[in-house]
Amino acid sequence: MSTRDLFTFGNRHFRIGVGIVLGMLIVTAIAGFVVLPFAQPWVQFANVWDAICSAAGVPQRAASVTAPEQTKRLSEVVLTSHTLARPNQEAIGRGATLAQRCAICHGPTGVSRADSPNLAGQYAAVIYKELHDFRSGARSNAVMSPFAVNLTEEEIADISNYYAYLPRLPAYHPTPQLPKPNIVIYGAPMRGIAPCGACHGSLDNKTGSPWLEGQSEAYLKAQLQALASGERRNDISQQMRNIARAMTPQEVEAAAAYYASQPPDVVKAVD
Amino acid sequence: MLVNRKLILAHFWFAFAVFGVALTLGAWQMFIRSPIGTWLSNPELYYRSLTAHGTVMGYVFPTLVAMGFGYAISESALEQRLVGVRWAWTGFWLIVLGSIMAVIPIALGRASVLYTFYPPLIGNLFYYLGVVLVVVGSWIWVALMAINLRVWRKAHPDAPVPLAMFANVAGSYLWAWTAVGAALELLLQIIPVAAGLKNTIDAGLARIFFSWTLHAIVYFWLMPTYIAYYTIVPRAIGGRVYSDSMARISFILFLVVAMPIGMHHTFADPQVGAGFKFIHSAFTALVALPTLLTVFTICASVEIAARLRGGRGLFGWIRALPWDNPMMLALAFSFVMLGFGGAGGLINMSYQLDASIHNTQWITGHFHLIFGGAIVIMYFAIAYDLWPHLTGRELVDVRLIRTQLWLWFIGMIVTTFPWHWVGILGMPRRMAYFDFGDPAIAPQALSVTFSVIGGFILLTSGIMFIVILARGMRAPQVDAGPYRFALAVHQPTTVPVALNTHALWVALMIALTLTNYGYPILNLALGGGTSVPAVYVGAQ
Amino acid sequence: MSAEDTHGSSVAVAARVERRWATIAVIIIVGMALLAAFAGIHQATMPQPRVETTDPSRIHLAGEFVESNLGSVLEANGNVTVRAIGQQYSFTPACIVVPVDTPITLRATSADVVHGILIQGTNVNTMLVPGYISEQLMRFGRTGDYLMPCQEFCSFGHEGMWGKVKVIDKTDFANRAKSGGRLSCVGQ
Repeated sequence: MSTRDLFTFGNRHFRIGVGIVLGMLIVTAIAGFVVLPFAQPWVQFANVWDAICSAAGVPQRAASVTAPEQTKRLSEVVLTSHTLARPNQEAIGRGATLAQRCAICHGPTGVSRADSPNLAGQYAAVIYKELHDFRSGARSNAVMSPFAVNLTEEEIADISNYYAYLPRLPAYHPTPQLPKPNIVIYGAPMRGIAPCGACHGSLDNKTGSPWLEGQSEAYLKAQLQALASGERRNDISQQMRNIARAMTPQEVEAAAAYYASQPPDVVKAVD
Repeated sequence: MLVNRKLILAHFWFAFAVFGVALTLGAWQMFIRSPIGTWLSNPELYYRSLTAHGTVMGYVFPTLVAMGFGYAISESALEQRLVGVRWAWTGFWLIVLGSIMAVIPIALGRASVLYTFYPPLIGNLFYYLGVVLVVVGSWIWVALMAINLRVWRKAHPDAPVPLAMFANVAGSYLWAWTAVGAALELLLQIIPVAAGLKNTIDAGLARIFFSWTLHAIVYFWLMPTYIAYYTIVPRAIGGRVYSDSMARISFILFLVVAMPIGMHHTFADPQVGAGFKFIHSAFTALVALPTLLTVFTICASVEIAARLRGGRGLFGWIRALPWDNPMMLALAFSFVMLGFGGAGGLINMSYQLDASIHNTQWITGHFHLIFGGAIVIMYFAIAYDLWPHLTGRELVDVRLIRTQLWLWFIGMIVTTFPWHWVGILGMPRRMAYFDFGDPAIAPQALSVTFSVIGGFILLTSGIMFIVILARGMRAPQVDAGPYRFALAVHQPTTVPVALNTHALWVALMIALTLTNYGYPILNLALGGGTSVPAVYVGAQ
Repeated sequence: MSAEDTHGSSVAVAARVERRWATIAVIIIVGMALLAAFAGIHQATMPQPRVETTDPSRIHLAGEFVESNLGSVLEANGNVTVRAIGQQYSFTPACIVVPVDTPITLRATSADVVHGILIQGTNVNTMLVPGYISEQLMRFGRTGDYLMPCQEFCSFGHEGMWGKVKVIDKTDFANRAKSGGRLSCVGQ
């Protein structure tokens, strides 16, 4: 036999090889697409065609379900890694003008003399999200909410880009740098707490999570407590409430004190 | 007839050098996350190390061994100078360049996405480009193996292709096709996102592409080991191959059914239909067949050697085997580990059993036992066997070689058995640390500690291996003679065309890939609406 | 008997032994495959029947994975449905409460990257792939606390992603379910 006859039914190996493979395909396809779907009494299919399509993996939109009414407003912001990814100079300029009204609390250079957050150099997505949440009422604060209510979408983006553009400056809460507490370094795995830096910048930044170095201790503590009690609930799908709830009061104190004592100018993994 | 020894040695040395580095990282990882290590203050370091370990051990090390061994087989089995030596060097340097290009972003912590990529996590572009270069370099080897066989065929029309070369080329085709899955994932999905051209990616589709590569790649790793089982071991222990055609059939089966089974890695995934999971599960069962055939043929071949040495009785012949021969020892260890690993594999292949161990330490234990154990120990044996022919110098210290093999075997068992156990207890993979102080997982602490000891035994053995080879470069010169492969009991004079060429089987392999992967891929690729935003790692 | 004959008959013997072994190997494999199919149907451990999609960055806005719908709910037929999400680096609800000896459907998805749900000591084990919804049937035979780690690398906080499952008495669960809403054992 020559190579020419390789792909003909005269070739025993061709017959056997193709036959077995085809046979297996047919048997397993019938079993997988028709027999097995109907062998599961706990699943209902409209007809054979529905069973075959489902087994083949044709994507279906999930059936709509009626969720219980939301009692309080939650965040409606959609954040992705490309939220405000490319600021331009114009936007930053407009943001600078708008930000003048923020200076009373957040400081003219974006560094607060009060216990308001320092915004200079904060991630744009963070400011963007919080402003939206203040505007929608998902987060409320007697001082902050009225400012946010009247902002347009573009203004929010401009302010966010402006503050993100400012350099990170030392804070007005000079305390000696504290050693890293365990809760910050390691989290607490069995309580479902990852290291803070996994989201808050020193290891990695989860979009929407702020860096915390140099922020006011009182502010950090109040936010952790509010998240733990559920009083603050604008973190999407409870991502921070899950963590704050699992922290002990001592850990809240330690984490707030540690972050307040850190210089904000260097935010990266230092051991 | 080994002419291009430098080429082969370069492949082996680079392979073993990166192996040494990755092995050290592996031992460190085991230690640092065990109860005797202290928790890392920067868990990213663990994932960084894990990415490097996986990338080297998965993509660079076995590929280079297969390539170097492939060139050696081509020259010595065909008794023909390698055609395309310049291209071979180009392939080698591409791999070196690719490895460096991939390792730099990893070392800088810019690509801690693990060697399995895991989109929508996206790391540094150069990591992915480096991996692509490694694959491209290896594809040059695939082409060269095909060309060399073609040249030989022209000179020897109708003659049976030597078994070693037949298997070697089958392995190269398997690799060429299996690498396509990851290549498509990288080129169509990940690299455009990493380069900033796109910012969404279909994570489900990416997992399907990767499963195309992920399972058959193991059979590519396995090929040199199986070639050694069939064509080196019987010769080294003074026996013969029981059956030449059974050997060919085994390699053909690997070629055909190693590919269309990868979705057993996605049993627990929501983006694959249950029907395709079932088909892949059934074909996965089939892949046990060539291994069972091999076990039979090799045991029979070994028995022949024992009987030739005067062994008697139903099992008495086992005592007559040359147990002081490193090749014999390696084979026995390899078979034991293949047996345990294969039994574990049978568990992974069914959806029902897999559910209790999917993505636990069991899986880590399973593939370390198969790949790190059964496969790599034969890489050692291949290197020991080839070394005198490559260097023209003798490996003098056989006792040291035996000790090294023993340690690797013991180390691998001590490492992987506890892993299997804690996997059953539900210990997840790839975590930088565990709170073993918590009563809920405290019972796992002892097993994990044992496995660390195994890890350090492995490290010791790995260092010994490299030392033995390095000393072999300076040992007294000897004439090792031509490099030969085992003969069959009934050495074939003619072989049916189907068992002497690959075309039919490559066609079947591709056809089966289309039937088993075509729809699931097109379904998601063309369906649209399932792309999700990329998440860049290491963003600060 | 000539040497030729001996050779010929030994070839035949070798081939026969080989064939027998191949047959045994095939029987072993077919047997195992049948066993797996049988166990799958009789113990209801089958892959999820449908592929369902969703948009991970908008799951908190509408649909079944909005915050008020996450948790366990007692259905009219006495079964329980649990809805959960995985995100960097926690599950919501972080503690899932379910009744013992009750058919439970777990529906879950990911809000960002690939995660996995694994309930230790059980065979509940599924990937959470963003863009797709995972569904798994489960039933707990004994009450108690179970750990539920994320079983897939999901970036640098992966080691801290551990949830919990609390299996409680049936009547206890029914009582709690009376007040309506979605149940969880968060904060208990």
